[in-house]
Amino acid sequence: MNRRVGIVALGAANRRSIDAALQRAGATTCFIEESRTVATCDALVLPGVANFGFIAGELDRTGVRSALLEAVGYGIPLLGICVGFQLLFEDSEEAPKAKGLGVFRGGVRRLRTPRVPHMGWNRVEPTASALEAGWAYFANAYAPDADVRDAVATTQDGVDRFASAAAFRNVQGVQFHPERSGDYGAQFLAAFVRSTAVAYAR
Amino acid sequence: MLAKRIIACLDVRDGRVVKGKQFTGLRDAGDPVELALRYRDDGVDEIVVLDVSATLESRLANRRTIEAIAATLDVPLTVGGGVRELDDVARLLNAGADKVAINSAALARPRLLEEAAARFGSQCIVISIDAQRTDDGYAIATHSATRAQARSPISWAREAVGIGAGEVLLTSIDRDGSRSGFDLELVRSACDAVSVPVVASGGASDARSFADALRAGADAALGASIFHNGEATANDVKAVCRDAGLTVRP
Repeated sequence: MNRRVGIVALGAANRRSIDAALQRAGATTCFIEESRTVATCDALVLPGVANFGFIAGELDRTGVRSALLEAVGYGIPLLGICVGFQLLFEDSEEAPKAKGLGVFRGGVRRLRTPRVPHMGWNRVEPTASALEAGWAYFANAYAPDADVRDAVATTQDGVDRFASAAAFRNVQGVQFHPERSGDYGAQFLAAFVRSTAVAYAR
Repeated sequence: MLAKRIIACLDVRDGRVVKGKQFTGLRDAGDPVELALRYRDDGVDEIVVLDVSATLESRLANRRTIEAIAATLDVPLTVGGGVRELDDVARLLNAGADKVAINSAALARPRLLEEAAARFGSQCIVISIDAQRTDDGYAIATHSATRAQARSPISWAREAVGIGAGEVLLTSIDRDGSRSGFDLELVRSACDAVSVPVVASGGASDARSFADALRAGADAALGASIFHNGEATANDVKAVCRDAGLTVRP
């Protein structure tokens, strides 16, 4: 069954990369540029590549924030990627006044290594069975602590270890970019697309 | 642990990959989509596409080429060429870029970097610097190395990072296409000066030369001719890097 996956596209996302990758994973996609599109989607993706404060502001301005939270309340699967993952937490040091969606507990902080951003390929090491281990592509200057409540995988960057994936009920997020993580990312997105179909079959 | 990156660079003009020496004498090297996918299959960690005539022709990098590459590529894509304003960054991201490299326009108006980082995050903004040796140290050249600037690449890198750039793509004009090895002195100076990743570019000669640049402190090393000519693949380069004790993605 072909489910419609909505990609939140509020001015700063690498929308085309994620769109192409989701289509390769078997999804039918659409872009969400206004709040009323959210209710037409069977699954939602909040992608990366933006400043936390910029996207938090856009979510408010467009009303997409409340539409996403309402959809999540109905059990619609939501996947956050990179800053979209960070937005699922409560707040971030990148924009201290901005508010995240608060689906996951805890905040996002700046990385504690001499060279930031953390840019390139690194290992995703699962702490729960939800995810496979593998090499993924990252481009982040901020991340949640490794011991946040909902973490399901962590990644080591020099002396720093951070949460690279989290999940809670129908919401999951990854700090890496599955759309740019080769075969590992393709398998991850295929599993996400499959899981959205399962969510409806129940 | 974060892996060191091996990057393939596609200099693009009129929809074709070209390559010359010291930014001149450009010759055809193939189709951008075909090469990007081949290099991906050969183990490259990232693709950089630079539209080398965009700034000189006062236009943005060719979006059709970017879209065609981005539609099939599944490793990161950095795009540069002709970025003059904030919306150009959005245009390239919408075309499929994951990171955007800014060169001439940033030197003319550094605030562009600040504005871009505020909207897209610094992890998305690459400051691209072309440097050449002069009688007293190094100096920048902009507009595809056609305009010499009285500015040290190292001090410019420091300033650019301070106002928002999240990565430095540092090309040695002297070594570009020369196959004489990376300018390690330039690489070391930049790595010491900034706290963001540095990509070494210009002069890749063999697999060993990549390992030398990475050991000098670069987070990534970029090659073009060496891959276009089929003299080594990214996986060949990685095997040598691994033997040299560097962490690379399998």
